[in-house]
Amino acid sequence: MDLGVLNQFLPTLVRYVLVALGVLGLIYGVYKLQRKLGVRQEAATGRALVMPWVLGFVVFNVFAIGASLYLSFTDYNLFRAPEWIGFENYRQLFDLSLVPLETAEQRSSEVLPRRHDEIVRLTVGDGGFVLGARESDFWRSMRLTLIYAIVTVPLGLAGALGLALLLNQKIKGVGAWRVLFYLPAVLPAVATALLWRWMFSQSGLVNQILRPFLDVFGMDTPQWLTNPTLSPVLFIIISFWGVFGANTVILLAGLKGIPQELYEAADIDGAGDWAKFRNVTVPMLSPAIFYNLVVSLIGALQVFEVAAFIPTPTEAGTFLNWTIFQEAFSFRNMGMASAMAWIMLIIVLGLTALVFRSSSAWVFYQGAREGN
Amino acid sequence: MNSTVAQPTLKPLHEPGPSQRGFQVRRIIIYALLGLGAALVLIPFFWMISTSLKTEDQLFRPGLNLIPNPAMPGNYVEVWSRLSSINESMTFWRIMANTLFITILAMFGEIMSAAIVAYGFARFKWRGRDILFALMLATVMIPGIVTRVPGFLIWRSLGLLDTYDPLTWPSLFAWGPLYVFLIRQFFLSIPREIEEAAIIDGANTMQIFIYIMLPLIRPILLAIAVLSFQGNWNNFQGPLLYLSTPEKFPLALAMRFFDQSLSKEAPQWQYMMAMATMMAAPILAIYFLAQKQFLDGINVGAVKG
Repeated sequence: MDLGVLNQFLPTLVRYVLVALGVLGLIYGVYKLQRKLGVRQEAATGRALVMPWVLGFVVFNVFAIGASLYLSFTDYNLFRAPEWIGFENYRQLFDLSLVPLETAEQRSSEVLPRRHDEIVRLTVGDGGFVLGARESDFWRSMRLTLIYAIVTVPLGLAGALGLALLLNQKIKGVGAWRVLFYLPAVLPAVATALLWRWMFSQSGLVNQILRPFLDVFGMDTPQWLTNPTLSPVLFIIISFWGVFGANTVILLAGLKGIPQELYEAADIDGAGDWAKFRNVTVPMLSPAIFYNLVVSLIGALQVFEVAAFIPTPTEAGTFLNWTIFQEAFSFRNMGMASAMAWIMLIIVLGLTALVFRSSSAWVFYQGAREGN
Repeated sequence: MNSTVAQPTLKPLHEPGPSQRGFQVRRIIIYALLGLGAALVLIPFFWMISTSLKTEDQLFRPGLNLIPNPAMPGNYVEVWSRLSSINESMTFWRIMANTLFITILAMFGEIMSAAIVAYGFARFKWRGRDILFALMLATVMIPGIVTRVPGFLIWRSLGLLDTYDPLTWPSLFAWGPLYVFLIRQFFLSIPREIEEAAIIDGANTMQIFIYIMLPLIRPILLAIAVLSFQGNWNNFQGPLLYLSTPEKFPLALAMRFFDQSLSKEAPQWQYMMAMATMMAAPILAIYFLAQKQFLDGINVGAVKG
């Protein structure tokens, strides 16, 4: 191969080795420094060993989050220095309007302020309300992402629990089933996103299967990729493919870990299947359910590849993560993108906090928690 | 895990008795549901492979044509000559080399740094340890997009955009908290006496780590290697953000590049799916070979979570 190809790899490789040596040096340096300051050997060693993470944490988390907050108050397009504009980005993002409708069918452009687009329409009897926003791409994506998370997380968990219960029965080849159901989760998201776009295209497999049934009712096959009302449905269907496997593996391990004596005790008390499920399985499984809930919630709010490969009609919005990515790196509005990212951060943290708060009511930790 | 414990209660079900018929019905329902689930998992998967072997006029033929006739394994070669006709440096070997370069460096960094950091968290007592560990786990909740813009600006000011640097050596700073967590859990299960014996023999911390601890935690390191390989091989957002020259693209970006080069009216799905299958193949091979590591790796974290 020619030198051009080597040039592509070699500098990175050299820097990689240098950084690796630097990391080892950092560990050694921090150790020596602490020893000089009279720290016990054990404490000095422990602290020195976690230094690689601490440094990465400071640069890529603490500093980056701080910088992101600062940028969210600026106008910055990479070419000029960031210009401080105070809350302008946020003011623009929260430029919302809620106006009443005279009739349920009224076009929202007649009532909404100039440059505002419809986000949500609420019909009450003959009239209703319409929520409009200036940054409609952002709010439409917010709408889609939240609908997606609220529907797929509980349904995905319930499905995974059902599947785990099935696999926990006396069946042949549990291992093989487990491998099979986890399969979608290992496939590259890029590959599956493309596959879904193909399957849901106008003459794709899904419509091929639906056509005979729809013909009976004289209905046309749905335009999955271009009909804005179908966009959330499409993504929800797609999510079910992968979500069962990932959660099921963990729930199944949890089920296998439930001591059989508990069921035997329940049998003696004359408990039926439902009572056993309700009073033994669910409480014993609740830590695993809780873990899955947190992980799938965070995952659902951060879908990326699917959005990058399956374009949606403008009115439907797309996934928030992709909208923000585009705002930053396609339109180069670093300030606005940072403000959007911060709103997303607050929503993710808020929802996660909510789950954590609720956990004391329903998550059951058996006795003193093991682990250390 | 506790499959031996599960045996006693299940035994009576096999004894012939009045419940035998109900038991049979139950079994049929269970297998029917599992079979349905399996079909839902496998049909899209087979559809990907099936499409990749079709001719263009087979693509839109009505009805279910799961088995292509004639089959076109040549699509797998043709897709690369199409791609290199758009950009001559985008050959199969080049794109594979790019993907492997990123994947292997990032994987090695992730494993080694996670093992070292986990050792510090698991085996030594020091003030602030538990708070720092909780903080590390909490970072999982921060959406990646928040740190993307500043991250991009950092790499830009270092002049390292469009290089592999942002995708490789930051892994040396234990960027995957989950891996640290998993290894720490494993360390905690190793009896302390082993180290104490080594200390008495005069081994220092580095020697203990390299010669005693690393071999002991091999199972979890293997599990993490598998998860990390998958994660980096499949990574799309990072390369999309940092790489802009097509000849530097890994597979995930090459797929996007090819996808965007095709007109929306004539998407050549047979080639796209051939590429998708190729990208999935190594992951699938590892998955089937190392399924135990894979699935156990996911479990360790949750069971004690």
